[in-house]
Amino acid sequence: MLRWAIGGIVTFNPLEQQGIPLDRQLRDWRELNVPPLDPDAVDPYTRCRVITMNGIEMEAVWFDHQFARHCRDQEVRRQLAQLRYIEAQQQKVVNWLLPGVSSTLETTIGYEQVAVDLTAWVARMEPDPYLKQAYQFGVLEDFDHLYRYANLYEMVEHRKAEEIVDGLTEVMPGRPTKFQHRDPRDNVRDPYDRATTSPLSKLHALTVMSAEQQTMNFYCNVGPQYMEPIARQLYQEIGLIEEEHVTHYESLVDPGETWWEQLVNHEYNECYLYYSFTEQESDPRVRAIWELHLNMELEHLRVACDLMRQHDTRQPEEIVVMSMPQVLRFEPNKQYIRELLDTQIDLTTLGAGYVRDAHQRFEQMQQRLNGAEPPPTERVIDEHRDRFGSEYRMQTDGPHPVAALREDSR
Amino acid sequence: MTATRKTGAAAPPSGDGMPEPDVVDLLVAQHAMIHDLFTEAAASHGERCRQVVARLVRLLAVHETAEEEAVHPLARRVIPQGAEVVDDRLHEENQAKQLLERLDGMDPDDPEFRPLLDDLRRDVLRHARHEERYEFNWLRQRCSPAQLEAAARAVRAAEAVAPTHPHAGAETGGKAALAGPVLSLADRVRDAIRGSRDG
Repeated sequence: MLRWAIGGIVTFNPLEQQGIPLDRQLRDWRELNVPPLDPDAVDPYTRCRVITMNGIEMEAVWFDHQFARHCRDQEVRRQLAQLRYIEAQQQKVVNWLLPGVSSTLETTIGYEQVAVDLTAWVARMEPDPYLKQAYQFGVLEDFDHLYRYANLYEMVEHRKAEEIVDGLTEVMPGRPTKFQHRDPRDNVRDPYDRATTSPLSKLHALTVMSAEQQTMNFYCNVGPQYMEPIARQLYQEIGLIEEEHVTHYESLVDPGETWWEQLVNHEYNECYLYYSFTEQESDPRVRAIWELHLNMELEHLRVACDLMRQHDTRQPEEIVVMSMPQVLRFEPNKQYIRELLDTQIDLTTLGAGYVRDAHQRFEQMQQRLNGAEPPPTERVIDEHRDRFGSEYRMQTDGPHPVAALREDSR
Repeated sequence: MTATRKTGAAAPPSGDGMPEPDVVDLLVAQHAMIHDLFTEAAASHGERCRQVVARLVRLLAVHETAEEEAVHPLARRVIPQGAEVVDDRLHEENQAKQLLERLDGMDPDDPEFRPLLDDLRRDVLRHARHEERYEFNWLRQRCSPAQLEAAARAVRAAEAVAPTHPHAGAETGGKAALAGPVLSLADRVRDAIRGSRDG
């Protein structure tokens, strides 16, 4: 049906596929009312795929809104509204798979597992060395957030994060969050060149940017729902790092891309991810949703390509690849993360590059924000240690690769 | 209280300046233990499964009785529309109790056992989350320190009747413990809580 293998190589050209006609994509209440996942039985990477696709759909919706706000053509605005309504329904179906019985903090730990294993995969597969460095840099920070939230989780809910991440992702310090607060000017990276960069690089940038943006918005909204002072403050601090991460990743995207080109890239990326997740999903009910959404996105991509052909000077075939790149996979990245911890833990940014020294602008920001008092991400560990006698970690593959970050070295 | 690390401890080491766990801490820690026992039961078989379920049944009896005696009445008084909120919780508890009675004494190899355990798990965890969100959240805001302390004392008294921590030794009876009268356990817990008020 949707895919076919020739000599063992799977070829899938989304530009040639027939999707579901747009006027047949609307779902009624019964179809939107998806039963949630069982948090005790779910494959953690199924939850990761759900969280990822929710971020992708939210970006699709907001990108379309921004496009419409900058578009004078009423007919195009109507077409965008049609596409966007379907994207909004897709977002509802995807995000409503998350179980209401899970606490906010449990979902948060799922978000950080996404940030770790999604960004690590992208870093491993990214062909451009400068972009690869951006993902390697970022993943060590999300990895540290997972550890901080896991300690909060045991303190307020009395359960362990391993129940959620299920041994697939280790929980231990990354680049300490307190050192992640940089002068905002140093969060702006250089963009790729839309004319020469690999199409896969464009998909990577869009994917990680969307995931981080959703994470930022999630923390902004749920943080104040807590009553425990340490929980409120932890969400505030990590929420501000997510602002830095959105800046970091969005600045990788060439701002010279036209609106039409961006629309095609967005729709192509949605096809790529739904296709990827259809390939690897372990839960048949969820796989059926990925497959349905893929068939919807193929039509959205066709509409976007038609708009580009009508309004842009270039053809969609010039900006995307004709066969789908290797599928994006959720899988453990423990050794990769350990190597990065060993080699890149002490990096920070200066301008659009990376340095090891604590330069003046970095020190000034640290001084103004952290001041004399330890930040919430440090206090959460201290409080956990006071209360339980030790901190929460889950190191399945041996001691921490950085001697100074081993628990007994504290 | 001396919980083990395995199931998430609520008790801080004493004398280090950290506040004692209050009644909400104690109840949330019990919810976590209940959740962990469900996970353990789902992963075990035969005699081991029977023991875990026996512990679960006892912990649920102790926990729910303590809530009914000492927490829900307080919530009724102090939270806005407390009576309605508590009635909803009691309705959930009754549904769970019906499942619990069917499960009590059932052989883990019985084909009905696993689906029933799964239903009970879903009901109990949903109920626990509702309590945390709609009931416990209010207690710390609305109760006086004395009210919170009295409720915590009741929960501890209930635990003392039938220790709820793993390896307490009481579950070695296996099937006997599971088939044992949960109702009479609830009665003993109730007595202990009432006694704690006098003491």
